[in-house]
Amino acid sequence: MSYAARFSLSLGRLAAAVFLSLVFTTLLLLVSGAPPLHTFAILFAGGIGSVAKLGQTIAVWIPLVLCSSALLLTFAPGLWNIGIEGQIILGAIFATGFLRPFPAGASPLVLAGALIAGMIGGAFWAYIAGVLRTWGRVHEIFGGLGLNFVALGLTLWLIFGPWRRPGVASMSGTEPLHPSLWLKGIKGFSLSPVSLVLALLAIFLVIYLLRSTRWGLSLKAVGQNPEAALLYGLKPNKRIVEAMALCGALAGLAGALQVVGVYHRLLPAISSNYGYTALLVTMLASFRPNLIPPICFFFAVLNVGSIQLPLQLKLDSSLSGVIQGVLVLSIFLVHGLEERWQLLRRQK
Amino acid sequence: MRVEFQDIHKDYGRVRANVGINLVLEPGRIYGLLGENGAGKSTLMRMLAGHTQPSRGRVLFNGKNAEGLNPSRALAMGVGMLYQDPMDFPALDVWENFRLGGTKRDKKRTLSRLQELGERFHFRLSPQEKVSELTVGERQQLELLRLLDLGVKVLILDEPTTGISVTQKEMLFTTMRQLARDKGRTIIFVSHKLTEVEELCQEVIVLRQGRLVAKLQSPFQSDELLKLMFGDEHGGTAECPERSQPGEGEFIQLEDVQLLGDKYILPDISLQIRPGEILGLAGLEGSGQELLLRGLAGLARAAKGRIIFDGEEFQGRPYLKFRQAGIHFLPAARLEHGLFPDLSLNEHFHLAFPPRNGGRDNLLPEEGIRKFSIQGQLTTSARALSGGNQQRLLLALIPAQTKLLLLEHPTRGLDHGAGQQVWNHLLGRCRQNTALLFSSADLDEIKAHSHRVLIFYNRQLVADLPNHAISVEEMGRLMAGQGRAV
Repeated sequence: MSYAARFSLSLGRLAAAVFLSLVFTTLLLLVSGAPPLHTFAILFAGGIGSVAKLGQTIAVWIPLVLCSSALLLTFAPGLWNIGIEGQIILGAIFATGFLRPFPAGASPLVLAGALIAGMIGGAFWAYIAGVLRTWGRVHEIFGGLGLNFVALGLTLWLIFGPWRRPGVASMSGTEPLHPSLWLKGIKGFSLSPVSLVLALLAIFLVIYLLRSTRWGLSLKAVGQNPEAALLYGLKPNKRIVEAMALCGALAGLAGALQVVGVYHRLLPAISSNYGYTALLVTMLASFRPNLIPPICFFFAVLNVGSIQLPLQLKLDSSLSGVIQGVLVLSIFLVHGLEERWQLLRRQK
Repeated sequence: MRVEFQDIHKDYGRVRANVGINLVLEPGRIYGLLGENGAGKSTLMRMLAGHTQPSRGRVLFNGKNAEGLNPSRALAMGVGMLYQDPMDFPALDVWENFRLGGTKRDKKRTLSRLQELGERFHFRLSPQEKVSELTVGERQQLELLRLLDLGVKVLILDEPTTGISVTQKEMLFTTMRQLARDKGRTIIFVSHKLTEVEELCQEVIVLRQGRLVAKLQSPFQSDELLKLMFGDEHGGTAECPERSQPGEGEFIQLEDVQLLGDKYILPDISLQIRPGEILGLAGLEGSGQELLLRGLAGLARAAKGRIIFDGEEFQGRPYLKFRQAGIHFLPAARLEHGLFPDLSLNEHFHLAFPPRNGGRDNLLPEEGIRKFSIQGQLTTSARALSGGNQQRLLLALIPAQTKLLLLEHPTRGLDHGAGQQVWNHLLGRCRQNTALLFSSADLDEIKAHSHRVLIFYNRQLVADLPNHAISVEEMGRLMAGQGRAV
């Protein structure tokens, strides 16, 4: 099949999945007594209704794109890097730790250092999961899940322990950073152009690595057939650890950007579950890089727009999560039905 | 049960797998189904067992139309198939596996039924053993008993003699004769092996290119059967190119090597191999030949002894060092272990031949596809290739500087022509002083191509003889643990 044909097939599946989940969500809204059309209108107006809201949406889009494109690297060799959530958190912790010696502010160079520290933190956490998998024979799903809890525990311990605010240790996080260590937004927005550029760079980097380098091809080969990869001398274990570490670095960057660009402190919920959401995005995109930015945008609109639901309709904002989950289930269902249909046709 | 195929057609897209087959199978007879790969044998049998439906035509059981057949309905009507790879559950106990899908019984009754059936056919299966601990032959016996317990009237056996011992084969044949004679069962024996078909079957059905070309009564003429299977152009007994003489010197030496495998240990191997020499490895599956090949490839660890290539010691070194020294291993399961199913031909060439020192000294993808006559394009995925083309792709991916080639079943599953192409290429390599070790379940292949024969029995190397010093019959005896030891 040609590239264009495969791409349009992916798009077709996506359209079918969107339709399916729309039907399901409408039913759900009818059952809960909310007017469906009005609810959808509020959702989208809340996400893209004004320039300010669009800015918020793009601010959510950035970590989602960073994490989703990072996950392409681990999906290529067939890894389920569910530990990406913890890798985001470690990025945030390392960045915060790097900036703590400068309570009175410092130069932008220090800020850059914090981003690099965040990348190292995320890579380190992913490296552990990778080594657990290749050396310790712990499946990356279990290793990652365990490390996510450890990362969360570590954040809480830091916030309520050594890094607590003087006098008031609380869920509201650590002492805010000195404003000179904030990643400045465009005037009037909480959106930093630096973050935007980094996210775009990340996705292009991943596309380049996977499509045009021998390393990327080796990753895919490992995912296709680890035993053959060993025979071809592609060092599958080394490739797995590398893919994990690079994925972790990008996730760590997302975490660091949340600290310096959005919250300006370390929070218990610093990852905002973007790692899990990114897993959904990547699956919904059928692991195709070019579908990642639009899907991330759609998910970001849902996330930001859903904030309006409790205010205007007294609906819970978790509706956005429901829609996202249903979408992913729908795409798998579409895949499954397609296979069934082909099987039936072949038997005829 | 009387089975009748009426004008059966089966198309897979543009491929015509079965074309207008008319055939009647009577109860109480043993039929041989012959044909090269892709002749349509499996398709026909899969239709009988309900795995697929004909595009046109009907299958009748005792004169009744069997429409909309699926595997469970076929089984309910009395059609059972013994697959090449036993369809069982390795994690279960023998008796549990026996009970699956069968009549509902408690453990006690299951055990006594299993014992009763086992005794009738002289199969010795211990009910409490795990299926995973049985040999291929024993697993086949278990599956056979399970099918008989379900009351099958038509029994299809797909290449049942691969991987089982000579005694087990004899027992299987006796059982088949008993079932056909005493119980009036229809038996269909699908095989490549002429001698076995001649020995067992009363009638033989030959398929070629999806068509039924002959239905003959015993006794059969081998030449005639070969001609029917392959057409005149193959002639059946075509000569293989001449083997070259091995070169001088012993460039590979194994001294009292003990190899550690996943499942067993292969002790005390001492061996010398000369450049260009061809060694055939004979033995039942799991007898040690697999481990020797993997040990020489650096994929299994040597616990003791020395492995010497070109005067350098290699034991304990990682696989990549073996590979860099010019040792190349091709596993038996091509798509499962040797290729990347969804990657393209082009990507395979890129992975196999990393660009080194600026230029590449190896095959370009286009060249490789042409030179090895692989039917596919640069963008074709490995999965879409036929078995023969997959094997040619693997051959094309062997680096030119390879000094030792290790092959597991190099022609397994290939038809006559494709197998010969493989050997043409391999013999060409050996003329350029590449040494070759290959394992095969086909003793004629070993006899035809090796300078020396290594025979394995019970996870030991029991014989190392020059080709002229041993006959195929003798190989068979040694593999089964009988006869002289050297």
